[in-house]
Amino acid sequence: MALNGDTLVQNEIESDVALAAKGDSSAFERLYRTHVTRIHSLTRRMLGSQIADEVTQDIFVRTWQKLGQFRGESAFSTWLHRLALNVVIERRRSFAVQRGRMTDDPSALDLVTVAPARADLKVDFEAAIEQLPEGAREIFILHDVEGHKHREIAAMLGITSGTSKRQLHRARMLMRKHLGGV
Amino acid sequence: MTLHEEWTDKLSDFLDDELTSEERYAVESHLQGCEACAAVLDELKQVVARARALEPRPSRADLWPGIAAQIEATQGRAASSASILPMRTRAGWRVTFTLPQLAAASVLIAAMSGGLVWSLRSRMIPPAAADRSADASRSNVPGQPPSVPDQPSLEREPLAERADVLPVSLADAQYDAAVSDLERALKEGRSKLDPATITIVEHNLQTIDEAIRQAREALAADPANSYLSGHLVEARRRKLDLLRRAAALSTESD
Repeated sequence: MALNGDTLVQNEIESDVALAAKGDSSAFERLYRTHVTRIHSLTRRMLGSQIADEVTQDIFVRTWQKLGQFRGESAFSTWLHRLALNVVIERRRSFAVQRGRMTDDPSALDLVTVAPARADLKVDFEAAIEQLPEGAREIFILHDVEGHKHREIAAMLGITSGTSKRQLHRARMLMRKHLGGV
Repeated sequence: MTLHEEWTDKLSDFLDDELTSEERYAVESHLQGCEACAAVLDELKQVVARARALEPRPSRADLWPGIAAQIEATQGRAASSASILPMRTRAGWRVTFTLPQLAAASVLIAAMSGGLVWSLRSRMIPPAAADRSADASRSNVPGQPPSVPDQPSLEREPLAERADVLPVSLADAQYDAAVSDLERALKEGRSKLDPATITIVEHNLQTIDEAIRQAREALAADPANSYLSGHLVEARRRKLDLLRRAAALSTESD
């Protein structure tokens, strides 16, 4: 039976997970290189670029420490993503409570509402996301970028689905300004 | 709330198919006769499409050297550190550590952080640089902070000498702010902790601070040394972890 590319990649990942769980750091480095872009993007979008590097490193160190708990019941990438989300949410709570960063300024996007040049569309859209009020931003990222459902987000963040829906709508309306809609 | 807002507030739920059939029918009927709301819906669709099309962007820096240094250090102290301060468990946040465990932690940290960096410095710092750092050490009054406590010594070196410095990945501003906040939280919860626990936590913090200071001095003399760079990252991370756990313990003691 011929194996397609995805299957081969998946097999390599599973093999590296098994090796890394036994202490093979070279195998773990391959896992890191395969997944770091997605994990770093998640941390950067959720927490900002200032601490994305440090949190990404923390996530992979914790992944290394917890590899023995991975049972293969889901894909490694799914398990890693979930672990990363836990770290990010924990870190957000920690910083928000300790540093009073839960600013909820609806005018925050005013700074980035200038219509972007076409070549900068993606970068500016990311910059606009970073400027969203924090509660709205995390739900916008989790729902519209990462594809989670409201009930999943509610469980992760300890809020109601209704709050998640309201914050998502608020975020979209603010992001709509960035498209030049208002 | 304006008439339009009454409807636009429902547009995200409409887009995500989160409305009941009656609500959906009402919105559809409104959209047929309201160009403004239909335009908002189109824009919301664009926002969602743009968000879904966002691709991951890689980090500008290679983070692996820092991770490798940390997991290497973790491997070396895994058995011991597990007995110092238990991590969060699925059953809930139970932080318990006993006096003997903390005393062991103190000895371990002193041995790992202070001695290791000191010996590395002895082996690797050129005589002239060693003299400079010894002078700097002598200039510090015992019990007082070093002359430049919050800045790596590297920042006092000429730019040309820093060109090949390996970046220490913990962002300084964020790190310093987090440490400061945790120290404040620990200070506020200090009265809830056992005096013996406080003594040992503070002793461990002093030891880690000393390790950080020595690592920075050693890096100033040997900026390209990736081991020292990783050691500094690990020492700072260890300080943050200890502060986090101690602060959490003081909260748990309520």
